[in-house]
Amino acid sequence: MNGFADHGLDNDNFGENKAVSAVKAFDAFPKTKPSYQQQTNTGGVWTVVLICASLWLAGTELQRWWHGQTTHEFSVEQGVGHDLQINLDVVIAMKCEDLHVNVQDASGDRILAGQTLHKDPTTWTQWGSRGQHALGAKKEERLEAGEYQEEDVHDYLGAARKSKKYHKTPKVSRGREPDSCRIYGSMHGNKVQGDFHITARGHGYMEFGQHLDHNSFNFSHHINELSFGPFYPSLINPLDNTLATTDARFYKFQYYLSVVPTIYTTDAKALRKIDKFHESPSSGSDGLEQHPHRYSKNTVFTNQYAVTEQSHPVPENNVPGVFVKFDIEPIQLTIAEEWSSLPSLFIRLVNVISGVLVAGGWLFQISEWAKDFRGRRRRRTDSVGVLHGGMAGKKG
Amino acid sequence: MPAKSRFTKLDAFTKTVEDARIRTTSGGIVTLTSLLLILYLVWGEYADYRRIIVHPELIVDKGRGEKMEIHMNISFPRVPCELLTLDVMDVSGEVQTGVMHGVNKVRLRPHGEGGGQIESNALELGGSDAAVHLDPGYCGECFGAPSPANAIKAGCCNTCAEVRDAYASVSWSFGRGENVEQCEREHYSEHLDEQRREGCRIEGGIRVNKVVGNFHFAPGKSFSNGNMHVHDLENYFTGAEGTEHTFSHTVHHLRFGPELPDDVIKRVGAKGMQWSNHHLNPLDGTEQKTDEKAYNFMYFVKVVSTAYLPLGWERTGSILDIPHELIELGGYGKGEAGSIETHQYSVTSHKRSLQGGDGGDDGHKERLHARGGIPGVFFSYDISPMKVINREARSKSFSGFLVGICAVVGGTLTVAAAVDRAVYEGAQRVRKMHSS
Repeated sequence: MNGFADHGLDNDNFGENKAVSAVKAFDAFPKTKPSYQQQTNTGGVWTVVLICASLWLAGTELQRWWHGQTTHEFSVEQGVGHDLQINLDVVIAMKCEDLHVNVQDASGDRILAGQTLHKDPTTWTQWGSRGQHALGAKKEERLEAGEYQEEDVHDYLGAARKSKKYHKTPKVSRGREPDSCRIYGSMHGNKVQGDFHITARGHGYMEFGQHLDHNSFNFSHHINELSFGPFYPSLINPLDNTLATTDARFYKFQYYLSVVPTIYTTDAKALRKIDKFHESPSSGSDGLEQHPHRYSKNTVFTNQYAVTEQSHPVPENNVPGVFVKFDIEPIQLTIAEEWSSLPSLFIRLVNVISGVLVAGGWLFQISEWAKDFRGRRRRRTDSVGVLHGGMAGKKG
Repeated sequence: MPAKSRFTKLDAFTKTVEDARIRTTSGGIVTLTSLLLILYLVWGEYADYRRIIVHPELIVDKGRGEKMEIHMNISFPRVPCELLTLDVMDVSGEVQTGVMHGVNKVRLRPHGEGGGQIESNALELGGSDAAVHLDPGYCGECFGAPSPANAIKAGCCNTCAEVRDAYASVSWSFGRGENVEQCEREHYSEHLDEQRREGCRIEGGIRVNKVVGNFHFAPGKSFSNGNMHVHDLENYFTGAEGTEHTFSHTVHHLRFGPELPDDVIKRVGAKGMQWSNHHLNPLDGTEQKTDEKAYNFMYFVKVVSTAYLPLGWERTGSILDIPHELIELGGYGKGEAGSIETHQYSVTSHKRSLQGGDGGDDGHKERLHARGGIPGVFFSYDISPMKVINREARSKSFSGFLVGICAVVGGTLTVAAAVDRAVYEGAQRVRKMHSS
């Protein structure tokens, strides 16, 4: 009509684009015109409170995600085992030439560990300063040592990265005769039940002309380090830094160990790529080097053990010494730290913030109602004025 | 306006009247995007709900007096079946008698000819093969040795095998059986010579007591007396021209207990830490070779009981209630409703020459091997007190699924509303800034 349409001046050209109006029709979020909205003071206060609350909760969620989760998992150890590395650092109160170190195990082998370990002469008084304790310390000491604290994988990874060498033996001061022997090093035994022992010459293994005078026996010892698997001196094991003394000459120290292979890792996915048929890297440097894949520095393969002790004097026809009998458990423990993925963190943040907003909105509504309710009540009780009351005081 | 009923007064979900409502393009886009996102997340929740995961648990194994089945498939390319003996012993050194077994000896062609199968016979554990076609009154001579305890006819040695048993019982070596009437009748020495160059494969299963013990493959007939367990090694060590016997072997398969079905392995192996909590047997496909006759291979096996309980398994009965004799070999451990009781193991291998020596070849000269013993392959197994239970469970219950959906929908819509509001306000401010 009016000829407008002939010149292209109709609603289609002036009104909204059809596509845009189609999209607009989908808008499910109602926005009211600003003139119909009312902003209140309490609303503003609530908004600030809600923003603070959601920021704080988002912060805690981020912190939780950052720390990750530590999972402990048991599984049966895979691969065919061969060797087990034993790392030893012990000081015995007898001269070096009087001591023999050997391992006998269930496969019938005897390992002349004395050939692979270093024996350094030293004096007894030079040891024992670094807070050594007897095995089976009192409960307070164990709590202080953090026995019941949750393990942090990063502590172990950090400890594993430190130096992997044995400390140098302190020099014997001039004028003093060495009366003790420090035996240290890593030896490779078979990965079977075994028994390694430090005995005196002539007492234990049959040798001619090697008898040692009974008065020079003294099997008191400091164990600085006893661990299994690859050598990480900073990792603490139950027998590390222990001291055992005796006054009796013929004394037998017996330690019974149960070794559990353990893996600490922050990269659980990389562990799945491990070859199942090679020797486990927890068994020592042989196993660690044998693997075709290089391990990331995020994984520490080691062994933990539990120890009990039975020590007593023995009559003179028995063999005295320090005996460590160990057995290996088939079940391995994996302690892994895992972090949830970024998408799930994002979803959790979204959930938290929306929850806060919704809950806050409802609380605000309820508080408004409560205020309204109270206000209506008050208006009803002291109503004097024209229509609703309240004008009496103002008139005249 | 409709009359205000009580419910209307309670309405907390305020709806904006159409006239007062503004619709924007950005709102539409945000709505559509959030709808797509909600659909995607709901689908993810549903997939999570349908997923079945396996929870491993570790408990102390409180079973008593159970049995354990050992299934094996091991081939010895350079020891003929005639010379090979399988013995099962327990921790005290006693040969386990009454072991239910279904083991076959398969004769293999010599290694040079490809090692194919010739024929398969059942293996008798500690017994002798039955004699055939003999006069009922016949009583064969035992040639100086006492008659074996399990002879067909007491006091007599009616077959070559019984004469061999009789000689083994007094630790006499038997040799090739010349001038022994029973063996010449059975053509024992001819068979022995023919089969010299052959190999042997042992396959099948045995059911033993679930205690610490060992089973071993060694040459010649064996005899146990108290703590002593000896084998007749003469034939093995002398060999024949051109052939020397050694205990090179290939373990094709060794498992303790029934196998998990394939689909279960896939499910258990899919998730899980490094290796899954149920692994492939470590000794499968192990091959060890040697050229020395007097060589001894030892495998130290630690066995851990493992149970697999499928979804919805309730303890209705126990497989231990059925006397084990009624369960056929290979079926022990298969419980009701698809539950399976089996065993995983970890193993250490060791080998040494019988003449002693050291481990210099492995780079460990300080390791002295013991001397003596019997050539052969020994498997010593030890039972762990721990038991692994792999239990299937749904990762989420149905109500958990609904809660997840509510969380997804609510969360997305709230955030989308906030985003939309922010965009709208922003646009308004920008417009105001432009117009002013």
